[in-house]
Amino acid sequence: MTEIVMDQTPPILQGPSDKERKYDRQLRLWAASGQAALESANILLVNSGAGTVGVETLKNLILPGIGRFVIHDNALVDEADLGVNFFLDDSCYGKPRAQCLASLLGELNPEVDGDWSPKTKNDSLGSLLKQSPLFTAIMYTYPINHVELETLEQYSKEHKTPLIAIHSTGFYSYFTIRLPGTFPIVDTHPDETATTDLRLLSPWPELVEFANTMTKDIDSLDNFEHGHLPYVAILLHYLDKWKATHNGTYPSTYKEKTEFRQLVRDAARTDNPEGGEENFDEAAAAVLKTVAPFSLPSGLKEVFEYEHKDPIQERSTFWIIADAVKAFYTKHGSLPLPGNVPDMKAQSKVYVQLQNIYKAKARKDAAEVLQTARAIAGTGREVDPAEVDLFCKNAAFVKLINVEGGGDTAPLGSKERLQQVLRQEMANDQVAEMTLQPMSLFPIYLALRGLAHCGNASSDKTQIVEAVTSLLSDNLSSEEYGDLNEKLGNVAEDLARAEYGELHNISALTGGMVAQEMIKIITKQYIPIDNTCVFDGIRSRTQVFHV
Amino acid sequence: MDPAMGNPMVPMTAQIPAPVAQPIPLPVLTRDSYNSQSLGRSLNANVKQARVLMVGAGGIGCELLKNLVLTGFGEVHVVDLDTIDLSNLNRQFLFRHEHIKKSKALVAKEAAQKFNPAVKIVAHHANIKDAQFNIEWFSSFRIVFNALDNLEARRHVNKMCLAADVPLIESGTTGFNGQVQVIKKGVTACYDCAPKETPKSFPVCTIRSTPSQPIHCIVWGKSYLLNEIFGASEDESAFDHTVDGDNAQEIEELKRESAALRKIRNSVGTEEFAQMLFEKVFKTDIERLRSMEDMWKTRKPPEPLNYKELLDKAKSLDKDKVLKDAQKVWSLEENLVVFNDSLERLSKRVLENKSAGEESIITFDKDDEDTLDFVAASANIRSAVFGIDRKSKFDIKQMAGNIIPAIATTNAIVAGLCVLEAFKVLKGHYEQAKEVFLTPFANARMLASDKSREPNPDCPVCGVYQTRAYVDLEKATLNDLVEHLIKTNLGYGEKDFAISNEVGILYDPDETDNLEKKLSELGIKSDSFLTITDEDDEEPFVNVVVAIQEAKEPLGDKPVKGILDPEDVKIPLKPKKQSQPEPVATPTAATNGASISNGQNGGVINLDGDEPMTTPAKSLKRGHPEDAEGPSVKKIKANDKAADDDIVFIEDSAGAIVIDDD
Repeated sequence: MTEIVMDQTPPILQGPSDKERKYDRQLRLWAASGQAALESANILLVNSGAGTVGVETLKNLILPGIGRFVIHDNALVDEADLGVNFFLDDSCYGKPRAQCLASLLGELNPEVDGDWSPKTKNDSLGSLLKQSPLFTAIMYTYPINHVELETLEQYSKEHKTPLIAIHSTGFYSYFTIRLPGTFPIVDTHPDETATTDLRLLSPWPELVEFANTMTKDIDSLDNFEHGHLPYVAILLHYLDKWKATHNGTYPSTYKEKTEFRQLVRDAARTDNPEGGEENFDEAAAAVLKTVAPFSLPSGLKEVFEYEHKDPIQERSTFWIIADAVKAFYTKHGSLPLPGNVPDMKAQSKVYVQLQNIYKAKARKDAAEVLQTARAIAGTGREVDPAEVDLFCKNAAFVKLINVEGGGDTAPLGSKERLQQVLRQEMANDQVAEMTLQPMSLFPIYLALRGLAHCGNASSDKTQIVEAVTSLLSDNLSSEEYGDLNEKLGNVAEDLARAEYGELHNISALTGGMVAQEMIKIITKQYIPIDNTCVFDGIRSRTQVFHV
Repeated sequence: MDPAMGNPMVPMTAQIPAPVAQPIPLPVLTRDSYNSQSLGRSLNANVKQARVLMVGAGGIGCELLKNLVLTGFGEVHVVDLDTIDLSNLNRQFLFRHEHIKKSKALVAKEAAQKFNPAVKIVAHHANIKDAQFNIEWFSSFRIVFNALDNLEARRHVNKMCLAADVPLIESGTTGFNGQVQVIKKGVTACYDCAPKETPKSFPVCTIRSTPSQPIHCIVWGKSYLLNEIFGASEDESAFDHTVDGDNAQEIEELKRESAALRKIRNSVGTEEFAQMLFEKVFKTDIERLRSMEDMWKTRKPPEPLNYKELLDKAKSLDKDKVLKDAQKVWSLEENLVVFNDSLERLSKRVLENKSAGEESIITFDKDDEDTLDFVAASANIRSAVFGIDRKSKFDIKQMAGNIIPAIATTNAIVAGLCVLEAFKVLKGHYEQAKEVFLTPFANARMLASDKSREPNPDCPVCGVYQTRAYVDLEKATLNDLVEHLIKTNLGYGEKDFAISNEVGILYDPDETDNLEKKLSELGIKSDSFLTITDEDDEEPFVNVVVAIQEAKEPLGDKPVKGILDPEDVKIPLKPKKQSQPEPVATPTAATNGASISNGQNGGVINLDGDEPMTTPAKSLKRGHPEDAEGPSVKKIKANDKAADDDIVFIEDSAGAIVIDDD
């Protein structure tokens, strides 16, 4: 299983700069670290059914440069494949579909290694999994047979491999991402404007001193100096003044904040040639956003309160750093400072000075976190300072995905979970017209689940409803599920009309969505969908479910 | 940003546009069977007969062409002017390494054709604005798909489709965001119904004399220095140095400075060239600036640099090592190394071209390493002179090249959505047509669709009355147009009106000099558009846009003939209110990473063919260049010096400076 499919000798790209140029447009989304993660990814596609959606997904992963892919597909190419699958041409007719696809997809990017299976009668999915280097993620397309699905689920459990299920039929599709346990993301790429953290209500001594020095003679400064006070200094100065007249408290209510904003506005000089001061405008504009007491962001709160069920996971560097940050928070009542300063009107020299004050504090905070982390027994000593820096910079935006709900939430993937979500969706639909909300796409998901293991053979409306009923182990009583039966029937009719085949366009679109989420998972950047996304190609809509 | 906020989701009460025909069970699966079953026989037949046009074969185009072919569209025409670049290959999957520098349209056709031999693909390696693609040609298509990369071309196709009354499916992506919109004359909003962000521009003095941010120095390196030394010198005539009381003297000085710089141009390729250029722009010019004491009262004065001293310090540096690290912020000495090296590479190209007897003009291209290195190094050295932060080459590439992130996945999604909208268009179900936004960062959803917006009655492009006129271009004068078309055929009678084209006013009651001129002398050709503005205060007509069509057969005694009989011409009156439309909230560029815009289209436009098509305008006062009200706006601006302050530099696609002409 080491043979690499490659029909032609590809031109080897010259040096790192050529590669950087080729990937330039995506490096701007996920940087060199994301690209490195992609390039070390080893992806398996278990392709079945009409097989287009899996191939379209894989194409979108090969183009940005995953390291290696394997296609496992038992089918031989037939005439219908040629109509729906772009990566098969007339010369492929009758040949193993996996071989043809691996060859034609491989041409898309000579830097990606490709392989295929089964090559002989004795090859099976099981033997492939045994012989291959560890897979980073596995995706499979429906309909799939029970044996192969169980083999994959077993592998996923054993190796903690993300498993992505994709189903595209007619105008409908969905995909589900099954992650191995709780999946933390540090590099969530929050909106840049959201990341400003100036600590105006809890300034540290160096910042206080800076502001005092800048503003001690604020009224006697000449117009140039006064018009170039950085707004951080302006706000700190007037916050002090406010406190002096308000029993030592900061403005906290909306009314107080708008009063404070007026105080700042009124302090601007208007007798200068410009008739106002840009830096004071900036200061006033920043009041509502930056004059706010610290509160623990919900994402991080979830991290701090997380109860471990898996001892191996608990010792991962993410959780060790998380513990260290929690200790920092407990001690100081605040998070490590991210350290970036937004652009503001100021003299260059002063701005650089201000930047340095924030950077120095951020470095100090990160050093403290690193020290705490390294003191944690076991893997703590191996914690990488760069990882600590990234965590500290993004602490407020760290997010957990695929968290098993506590309390009365049924486990992910269970029948009870399906029932819970279904009841909620049907209840929402009852009031959907009043709230101007669109109808739930959950019946599409259920109907496709009903087709999970059927070929394009003889399914009909009743069979789909029956399959869904057995999936839910529940009678679809109208009391609880409203007109679900009717809705399922409608979807089933649409599916039957397509003879349970794939439409290229729907599969191509779905392949784009799935690949996008896989890139997020592989690079551990941005927040992936958690965990099921349903696409309705008739209404051009998606809906996400946590099932 | 949530694009749906301005337009709350509408209830999904519309009928499902599902196929109406019953499936016919086929004994054997054929290539076409899934399409036929899923689309229904009538839609499938419609698709097979449809002749469609796809403008742009880049990021969205490659995906879309594949989808169109496999959906079975009968005939697909592809127009693209561009050639394939290495940086396209991470997403434009019809292209391979060996196709670099070849025509996108031709290669895309070849690659896609073999997968469905039944579909006819016609490729045009040409500019969609070429005269061959006239209104008649546009009207021969059932649907037009825009998969374009720039505002100007999008506007052009929008206008042509409205004139030809062909439905247009407009699309764009940036990074993870994207959108699709159906444009049908009189039914849905057109591309220009919502104002678009206009190019970011900088005052000439900020760029040339008083930079305060890295971007100012980058624009200087790209649009001034590179252009003066290696660019097209005739661009100089386009410089307009808007003068007011305060900067008149400085503008004069700057003109002299540019002239002196152009003289140095003659020394390109000589050994002293690097030093000459360096000392001119980083010493002599800076010393002159520094001597203007008034300028530095409230600013830190710039520090001139000494070439020899700096070169000495840079001697020990390893050129290749410096060049390799595009992510690092180079020191001043490292920048000098890159400056000299890139200058040598560029000079060599000039000399080679000259000796081959070719024109030697080099314009900025973000993917041309030589120009990028030169701009990065020059900008950074200038930043050092003015005490501004330097940037890495990687960052400068984004800022100078106006790079919009682009990936395969987003293009795949958007192209798929385009085809789904095309189905509705083929069925004539415009009421179901959606404006779909791809907003992966919105909570728990990827796609948000809104009902198509209605046309904006005040839209300068589609809120007008459109008609055509046949003209004998050999004979017809402007007066013929006034007498035989506007006054009589269109029914203006004794009304006061003005005629203008994209250049300016051709005629109004006070401007009658052109009346006796032939239309051809006024630059009017077949497919020129003329705008007629009713200047009456009482119940004025909406603006009328006349598309000029060259008469194919003799017109008889009059050299101008309207396409309609006078009784069929029904020009609506202008709506009473004159309020400007609100910008429409859309997912836009620059929401995704720090893209700073100074390029041809204000941060929205990527040169590689996949970027957002709609951006809300920041300010309405600098609306559309082709705005039907353009001429009058210009008149006003000429008297409004305050407004001129922030409008001086506008760049065209080649990166050259064109200064707007107010």
